[in-house]
Amino acid sequence: MSGGIARGRLAEERKAWRKNHPHGFVARPETLADGSVNLMTWHCTIPGKTGTDWEGGNYPLTLHFSDDYPSKPPKCKFPPGFFHPNVYPSGTVCLSILNEDSGWRPAITVKQILVGIQDLLDQPNPADPAQTEGYHLFIQDAVEYKKKVRQQAKQYPPLIA
Amino acid sequence: MGSELQSSAIKAAKVLMVGAGGIGCELLKTLALSGFQDIHIIDMDTIEVSNLNRQFLFRQFHVGQSKAKVARDAVLKFRPDISITPYHANVKDPDFNVDFFKQFSVVLNGLDNLDARRHVNRLCLAAGVPLVESGTTGFLGQVTVHVKGKTECYECQPKPAPKTYPVCTITSTPSKFVHCIVWAKDLLFAKLFGDQNQDNDLNVHSSDASGSSGHLDVFERKKDEDIQQYGRRIYDHVFGYNIELALSNEDTWKNRVRPRPIYSKDVLPDDQIEQNGNVDKTAVSADLSSISAMASLGLKNPQDFWSLAENSKVFLEALKLFFMKREKEIGNLVFDKDDQLAVEFVTAAANIRASSFGIPLHSLFEAKGIAGNIVHAVATTNAIIAGLIVIEAIKVLQNDVQNYRMTYCLEHPSRKMLLMPVEPFEPNKSCYVCSETPLSLEINTRRSKLRDFVEKIVKAKLGMNLPLVMHGSALLYEVGDDLEEDMVANYAANLEKVLAELPSPVTGGTILTVEDLQQELICNINITHREGFDEEKEPDGMILSGWTPAPTPEVEKNNGASTDNGASSSSVSQSVTLETVDDDDLEIVPAGTPNGKKRKSSDNATNETGEERKQKTIDEDGVIETLDESDSKKKQKVQ
Repeated sequence: MSGGIARGRLAEERKAWRKNHPHGFVARPETLADGSVNLMTWHCTIPGKTGTDWEGGNYPLTLHFSDDYPSKPPKCKFPPGFFHPNVYPSGTVCLSILNEDSGWRPAITVKQILVGIQDLLDQPNPADPAQTEGYHLFIQDAVEYKKKVRQQAKQYPPLIA
Repeated sequence: MGSELQSSAIKAAKVLMVGAGGIGCELLKTLALSGFQDIHIIDMDTIEVSNLNRQFLFRQFHVGQSKAKVARDAVLKFRPDISITPYHANVKDPDFNVDFFKQFSVVLNGLDNLDARRHVNRLCLAAGVPLVESGTTGFLGQVTVHVKGKTECYECQPKPAPKTYPVCTITSTPSKFVHCIVWAKDLLFAKLFGDQNQDNDLNVHSSDASGSSGHLDVFERKKDEDIQQYGRRIYDHVFGYNIELALSNEDTWKNRVRPRPIYSKDVLPDDQIEQNGNVDKTAVSADLSSISAMASLGLKNPQDFWSLAENSKVFLEALKLFFMKREKEIGNLVFDKDDQLAVEFVTAAANIRASSFGIPLHSLFEAKGIAGNIVHAVATTNAIIAGLIVIEAIKVLQNDVQNYRMTYCLEHPSRKMLLMPVEPFEPNKSCYVCSETPLSLEINTRRSKLRDFVEKIVKAKLGMNLPLVMHGSALLYEVGDDLEEDMVANYAANLEKVLAELPSPVTGGTILTVEDLQQELICNINITHREGFDEEKEPDGMILSGWTPAPTPEVEKNNGASTDNGASSSSVSQSVTLETVDDDDLEIVPAGTPNGKKRKSSDNATNETGEERKQKTIDEDGVIETLDESDSKKKQKVQ
């Protein structure tokens, strides 16, 4: 049963994350209104790296795992309309390690995914654009791009401590 | 011994010792003297005065300090060049995770409780590190070797449940002194001083007649009731009236000796009671721990046998002292073997009941031992066992699988052997710890709450520490300091829900997965719904099955027996050995001529501990250890 493999792996990921995770990051299975906790969907927060224009923002990201995980990568989504050259308008992140046909390997952990996406924030890949606005500004108008990024950082303030 | 191969294996080894107590002190010394150079040692305990007679690395001025650290310092004095790393911590701490265990060549256990043993067993299995496990109880001891895939793991054989007694034996027909102790401790003491919300069967037979069914509980002290009056009323009720009531049921006594009702006025005329009612003058001290009925009655020696009259005085005096000096604790008291007044009360009550039933009386010292599950530790046994651990550890380091042995140290020589080596067993294919066979659970899914499942199965039976309970991909329960508040609240709410009404309903046919955050143990449990359970035979209201049910008792040393096993004061259970430890001199029988390879390890052991042979008598000076099973030595497994 493939779902069993996914569930077993996700339980391992959950335990590993609880024991140790990078500072400032959040990753937890989704809790529904009826109180059920679903391992197949995780709500995460990625902090912008200090010293970058992304600093100060805590960006919400949702990981959707399928029954074929970890053969297939999870779908990683920021909120729709998220400003970044490699994020589709739907919010889906475009990153090599999240692509089944290129960089994904079943051994990649949730932690590695989140840290990879944090790196991507400040180091977009212009070879793989996913949205027009972010891509064009990044290529053509560094000042306006910077401004947009800083605005967005303010939109996602740190969670109340 | 002493081949080059062996000594290089020893020199290269990095070993972890868990426990620096009775076995641990001997073990650390033996390891150091055998050439081991890198030893790590975990123990959460600090040194107590009662350890000093046998935990020879410790001195009186060390009392209160970390066992692991002091043991290290003591051994470094005669082996300054080796490395010993102490951890004053609980082996169950998250720091000691699988990766921590992976760095060691072998793990050596000198633990005192089942819980920690299971935990270490699971971590060793997860880390793939061999485990040499040990235990002693008085003269009995054992060393076993657990190597994943090669020998059985520590949990392949179910550990025997604490001994329990049928309720009616305790409430109506005691035939041994231990029955009287259980009655005094779990019923009477709990009824008078413990949590009133706990079920208590003390008055099962008299309730219909007049006792607790009325609006006034007979055990409650009436407003402004004189304490002497109250004490005698309780006395007469439990030792007089209740016995008369029991006698009225003729059928019970057809084949039994009829008990004798005892009333306080017959044993103690009024004037005698008044004579010793002088607490207020004698015990002015505010120190609660020093309050003693013996002291205020002038009884000095705890090994003396008290007469019925003396026991009755102690009973009344102890009861009075509880009410006069420790009134705040009443309603919250749980029997504790280190609580002097509680031990006095239980001893006296048990003795009065015993004389009612024609059972021989016991001294306070003996009664304390029985009530507190205490067996007197024998230093020599610890030394022998430590030697055997090192012998097995050396074999493990050389991967000498053919020669691994489980060794039992016996109380009486069998075929002139005091040490009984046995070939280890293969892993139990249906072991729920080292194999992956699913378990099955019969439970009323419409009545039992998630809390019942977590407490009675996951924690009590499976021995998990920080469990995760999952139904498919739904998490039903997690626990741990790292969880966010809202998740904690969510899981707390789940605990109170009936299984069938959880967000992901658990019903017949559901498979639950239970994991532990640290132990790397995963159990699948098939749920079967069942309506009714026999409250007497199946008090948990659920039945877990899936591993070999026949219990194989094993020698076990267990200091924490009372907390591990006897936590519920309402259940009449006792994990006591009924054999009292006797004072026969211990002689280690010379090894004799080896007759086959199985003798090999016993020969070595005797050499290893040769110095111990001189010591023939065993000190029994009040130092105590507890156990939870002892009366069997796996004789059926002996070659």
